[in-house]
Formats: sequence, C-alpha cells, structure tokens
Amino acid sequence: MDLSMRRILAVAAGLVVLAASACSAPAPPRSATGPSPTPTGPAVLPATSGAHPVGTTILHVNDTSRPDPWNLDVATRELKVTLWYPTKQKEGERAPYMTPKESELFLKGSGIAGVPSDTLSKTRTNAIKDAEPAGEKLPLVVLSPGWTKPLSSLTSLAEDMASRGYVVAGIDHTYESHVTTLSDGRVAECIACDNDTDPGFGTRVVQGRADDVSFVLDQLPMKWDGSGLIDRSRIAMVGQSMGGAAAMAAMVKDSRVRAGIDMDGTTYARIPKSGFSRPFMFIGSELHVPGHDASWDRDWKLLTGWKRWVVVKDTVHQAFTDLPLLGPFLGVAPEPGVLPAERGAEIARAYVAAFLDEHLKGGRQPLLEEPSSRYPEVELCPEHCGKS
Amino acid sequence: MTAIRAVTAGLALLLAAACTAPTTPRSQSRSSGATVCAKPSGRLPAQTPTTIDVIEQAYHCILGNYYSGSTMDARSLLTAGFVALTRELNLNGRDVADATMPALTGDRKADWTAFEAVYRKVTDQVPDLRDKLAVVTLEAIVASLGDNHASWAHGGGGRPPDFYDGDGYGLGLQANVNGPQVDINPGTALPPLFVTTVEGGAAQAAGLRPGDIIESIDGSAPFIDGKLTPVIAALYPRYPEADPVELRLSRPGTGRRWSVTLKPGVYQRDLATLQGVTSKLLEGGIAYVRLRGFAPDAAERVFRAISRLRTGRTLTGVVLDLRGNGGGKAPEAIRLASGFVHGKVTAYMCTVDAKCEALRTDDTVELLNLPLAVLTDRGCASACEHFSSTVKDLGIGHLVGTRTAGLISGPAEPFQLSNNTMLAFPTRHHLGPGRETIDRIGVPPDHHVPLTPQDAAAGRDPALAKALTLLEK
Repeated sequence: MDLSMRRILAVAAGLVVLAASACSAPAPPRSATGPSPTPTGPAVLPATSGAHPVGTTILHVNDTSRPDPWNLDVATRELKVTLWYPTKQKEGERAPYMTPKESELFLKGSGIAGVPSDTLSKTRTNAIKDAEPAGEKLPLVVLSPGWTKPLSSLTSLAEDMASRGYVVAGIDHTYESHVTTLSDGRVAECIACDNDTDPGFGTRVVQGRADDVSFVLDQLPMKWDGSGLIDRSRIAMVGQSMGGAAAMAAMVKDSRVRAGIDMDGTTYARIPKSGFSRPFMFIGSELHVPGHDASWDRDWKLLTGWKRWVVVKDTVHQAFTDLPLLGPFLGVAPEPGVLPAERGAEIARAYVAAFLDEHLKGGRQPLLEEPSSRYPEVELCPEHCGKS
Repeated sequence: MTAIRAVTAGLALLLAAACTAPTTPRSQSRSSGATVCAKPSGRLPAQTPTTIDVIEQAYHCILGNYYSGSTMDARSLLTAGFVALTRELNLNGRDVADATMPALTGDRKADWTAFEAVYRKVTDQVPDLRDKLAVVTLEAIVASLGDNHASWAHGGGGRPPDFYDGDGYGLGLQANVNGPQVDINPGTALPPLFVTTVEGGAAQAAGLRPGDIIESIDGSAPFIDGKLTPVIAALYPRYPEADPVELRLSRPGTGRRWSVTLKPGVYQRDLATLQGVTSKLLEGGIAYVRLRGFAPDAAERVFRAISRLRTGRTLTGVVLDLRGNGGGKAPEAIRLASGFVHGKVTAYMCTVDAKCEALRTDDTVELLNLPLAVLTDRGCASACEHFSSTVKDLGIGHLVGTRTAGLISGPAEPFQLSNNTMLAFPTRHHLGPGRETIDRIGVPPDHHVPLTPQDAAAGRDPALAKALTLLEK
C-alpha cells in the first residue's frame, strides 16, 4: 500500500479520518477489469527533449558506518544508485526498465494482477546501457522516488534531465521499496512498509534518506569513473512523494545540495526556525493546493529564499512519475477526468528543467515567473491558485 | 470541566476510530437508519457548520444504528441535548425565556418535531450563538450514550501549525494516572500521582524525572480522600489549550520539594520510542516484545520479531509488553492470539437483543508453542483488552501488572453526517471469550504488580521481573 491514499485521508482533516484509515483495509488497486483494452506491445517511455543522447549505469555503495535502519540483521547500509548522464553514443543496447523479477515484485506489491508479471521489464527506455559519459562541469541532480516505489518509477524524468546536460544520481533506498536488487543479486523487499503506521514514521524515513544522499555524494567520486565530469559545486535534488520530502531533509542536513524540488510529497524535515534560504520548489497535484496539506503550508512560511509552489490541475499523486504512462499496459485505467499521462510527464519535465536551469546553470526562467500560456494547467500558488 | 471533556473526547475519539472493525453492510438493518446516515467513503469534503438538520440526522442515525438504538428511550437523547443547550445559553449570559423543555411522549418522530420547534425558537433569538449551541447540543446527545466508543468528530483544534510527524503536544510527561482514568474511569486511579515518563518539552526542560510525585496541580490536590479530582485533566492539555500549569513536586529519596510552571506546547519525541513494535532478547532465552498499538500488520510484526530472535537459538518464552497499548484493529488482536491458541473463540459481538457473533482464532496462523507472559496496565485499552481477555480466559499465558482500561464497549463504526462531520459508535457490544462484559470493568491481571514512584525513579520494572520469574518456572 502506498502513502498516497493515507495522505488523501489525512489531508481530509480530522483524527478520526486518519485513524479510521489505519483501520480500513488497504485500498484495492484500481480495477484491472476496466473497459479499456490493454494495448499490445511494450510500453515506450516518451522521447527525451534535450540535446544529448543519454547513458545509464548502476552502482552499488555500502555505508559501513551505520546499520541498516530497517533490517535489524544487516550491519551496514547498502544502496543501489542508478546514474543517467549525457553521452555522445547514439547507438547501443537500451537499458532495461526493470528486471523481470523487479517487475514481478513491484506489480505484486502494488496489487496489480492480470498482466504477465514481467510486463514492466519490457518497457522501452531511451538510455543506452553503460554508455561512455560525455561533457564537462556537469551539474548533478540527486533523485529519490516515492514510498514503496523503485527508482525506476522516475526513469522518464531522469532520462530527460540527462538529455538536457545533467548527471542524475537516483537512489533506491533499500527496504523502502517493493523491490531493490542488491549488489549480490539478492532482492530486498519493503521491510520498512511494516512500520508505516507508526507515529514519527515519515520523520524517520526522511532522516534515513538524507543520510543515504550524503553518503552517495561522498562516494560518487570513488565509485564512478565519470564523476570527473561533475561540477560538485552545482548539486540539486528532486524527489517524488516521500522522495520529495527527502529532498527537503537532505538540503537541511547537507549544504552541498543547493536547490531542491518536492513533487507532491508531504514533508517531514524540520526547517530551522532561523530560515532556509536555498532555492526550493513544490510541484503539487491537486492534493497540494494551499490548505490541503499542513506540512506545505508550514514549510512555505519557513522558506526564506527563492521559492515556488506550483500546482497542476486535474492531476493525481502519481502524475509526475512513469506510472500513469505505464498504467494502460498494466490494465490500470486512468481515473476519470485526469490529465493525460503524457501531458503530466511533459509538465513535470518542463518545470523541473526550468528550475534546474535557473539555479544550477543560471538565468531567469520566465516559466517560473508567471502563468504560462503553454501550460495553462499549471497554477502558481499560493497567491494565484484556487483554494478549495 | 471543558478541559476534562476535551481530554476525554479526544481519547475516546482516538480509540473509537482506531478500532473500527471491518464494516459490515448495514443496509438490511432498520430502513430509517440505513438511509439517514452513510458509511464514509473516500475523502471527506470540507466541514460545514452544524445545524438543527444535522442534529436531527444524528438523532435518527443513533436510533437507527447504535447498539441499543432500537430499544432505547429516545427522550434521553433529547433531554441531554436540551440540558446542554440551556447550560450554554446560561454560560453566555444569554438565557432565553422560551428555552423550556417541550413535553415528550415517547413517540420518536413526534418528540423530535417538538424538540426541533423549541430549538429553532430559542436559537433564532440568539443567532450569533447558533453554531455553538448546535455543537454543544449534539456533543451532549452523543455523550449521553455513555459509551466510550461513541464519538462525534467535528472541527476540533486540528494540529498546531508547527507540528511535525512524531511530535507530542502537552507538558511532555506521562503520569501513573493515564488518559482514560482522567474521566472515563476515574475510580481506577490510586494515589500518589507521580511521573512515569518524561517525553520532552516543558517537563524535560524543567528537569522532571520519573518517580517525581505531583503533590498539586494549579494549587489543587490531585486526590481528595483518595478520590481523583478533576484538576488532573490539566496534566494532559490538548491543542489549542495552552494555559501554563503549575505543579508542586517532591522527589522521594532526596526530600526535595519544589514548584514548576509548565507551558503546554509541541515537543519532539524520541522516534525510537514511537515504533509500534520493538523487541529484544532477555536472559534465559526470553523474547521481550513491546507492542504499542494494534495497527494493521501488528500481529505479523510481533511474529516476525519473535522469529528473528528465535533464529539460531531456542527461546524459552515470550514477554509481550502491552502497557499503554491503546488498541486498534480487532482482527490484529485475534491474529496475535492465534499464534498461541487455535480453535477458540476470542470474543463475542452482540446486539442488544443478545444475538452474538463469535470471533474465532485464525487457525492458519502458525502456533509459536512458547510460554507467554503479558504485561498490562490501565493504558491497555480496546483491542488490547480483547487480546488480554483472550489470554486470560483461554489460559494461554500469565497476565502481569495492573487491570486493563475497561474501554471496550464495541467496535466503533463511522457514519458521515450531512455537514461532513463524522459520528462513530458501536452497533454491537463486545463480550469476552466467556461472554463476560469487559467494558468499564477491564481485565484483571493474574498477578497484580503495580508500579511505585520508587520503582519509576530507579528505573525498575517489577512487572517485567515478575513475568520473568513466571516464565522461568
């Protein structure tokens, strides 16, 4: 079960609703029996929009200085890091979206049945596996996925950022996803899911994720040959849901992270009362208009530097991930009235890129200054968006 | 008085909501009840003010669905509501000459019509009080059920703006007289009043320690002639209550006596102490597992913790620490019990005309085949008492500590009212495996081992020590 449902209920206000949600059965996945037929052939991620071909590779790092926060029998914290980066290589084997095993466990964990268990592993990506990185003084973006979601769920966004000249270091936070493949091929499942009703749970998760981020930043120069191409003075972090909350937490903890984006995640990190002046952007679905999630209202007041709060109309919690794009191939019908999946992905790409370009490359981005006729679905909050 | 009610309401509400059983369709029940209020589904729209129409809906909702709704004298609801209405008028210095209780006949519909007519006439004369009067009236109607799993969730203080997940609100301490004893079960508290846990906040900043005796609160004694006084409620303020509380304290052993003024507020808590399940291996191969609530997956988490401690060694027993466990999902209590016994009834859910459904163990759960001791106290409520009564009645382990809370009228089921507030109450009442009433009585431990201030100060745990001696036998 993911946190989005709980969040919806929590936002609905009232202890009763929150507590009751903890009691009710997990929301069943949207029916696979909808009228829309499952498309034939594999899913294909949208083409990237930037100038560069994209390469990708996987690293494993192991923090021996701390025990795993979830698996009490593991004395170290092992993390899988997926890198996406610009390359000159145009041809080559496309990287798999997931392994068949990862597809199986992710579908199972998400309660999706009725399609072959390896369906997601057939998804066609844009990035070339283990291609030679190219470029110089590239800014770095750390990427963190939502609760129970593998990092793969943000592949479309990651590829697009890389095509625009960013190195993306995405982290699978072990035991916080339905499936993470470890360095020795073992598969870690969502042990931390056991804890997700505990008070203080979100706070614990983002503290751990902030530690994960710092460790990955420490290790990257040693572990990746291409790290010489990175300009380490230009680091940002982007995350979805719990990953967005983690971006806030990582920035509070580690000053190397200069700018951050939270896509639709309830936040948990304590911003110092003295203020927090590094650039930060909230990108919300309709769950995150002002007044709907007390954590954003709280943090908005504590952000003292460059800040934006955009809300995309007619969107659901997963709108900025790959999941709506993949839904039709999984027999999951979109909710009625929501923005088409491709459009949600396009908007996420455009606003994330504008933010990164402004704060890591320099130069004001008109998209972030005023409502855009190209993206009428996007509202600039809190001043110019509908309270409901 | 308001403070007490607030504390109680908050607690009852939490417990009630937390132990909502999987909903059973009620459509076959009395038709008036089925249509008047519905089970909530999905996100609740924003609340709107409470009106006489909402009160009417709640009145029929209770009569149509509440455990004893079909047999109760509906006049008791209306009378309780009218009492609260007139008190509120009086409190505001705005009494109304027409505020006289109408004559009631016992005919539910006619009585409502009479009540509504007077209610409208009265409230029309004090339009600025209208919302407040509606709230106190409905609160009183729900409170008149005298049911600890009946509640009405509306408005409320919400959360403080600077609240973070895991934070506490209040003075930052817990005392040996806990939430339910403050109002729901005041007869169960024993002097002296002392601090058991310092969680943070003002209490921590003022240097309070476990074992410190609270001699007075805001100048009043917590016990008079051995009976708990209402001042105790000030120990557990709920947001937005923020008045400072003055405590006179003494520390046994040192003879120190002093006073502190503690201001309620948001405080950070140690995240490790908030985890639903924690476990450790004790000497002699005994698994100690603390379960703080019957959240979804609670039973599985306990089983996994035991299984992990069992890996590579032979366990000789399990201590399950349920002190302060405020309950949660009944199916989790059943599942946990099913690790220790099969083929038995753990509880009965009974209608007012004594039609009972037996809740049975889930015999697909693997038996642990380990001796069990369970630690209980007055904070073990609802599903925690379901489990404790199962342990006791079926003889699957020793209960050690103090009697449980006695807060288990029945599983609260939520009903949505037209202004998007939520009414919740049991449609059936809970009886133990021996068909005994546990509500308001609690489950007595097999071994009564209370905590003393000296124990708290020294960090001793006599109940755990007793449990270990029982398991070693």
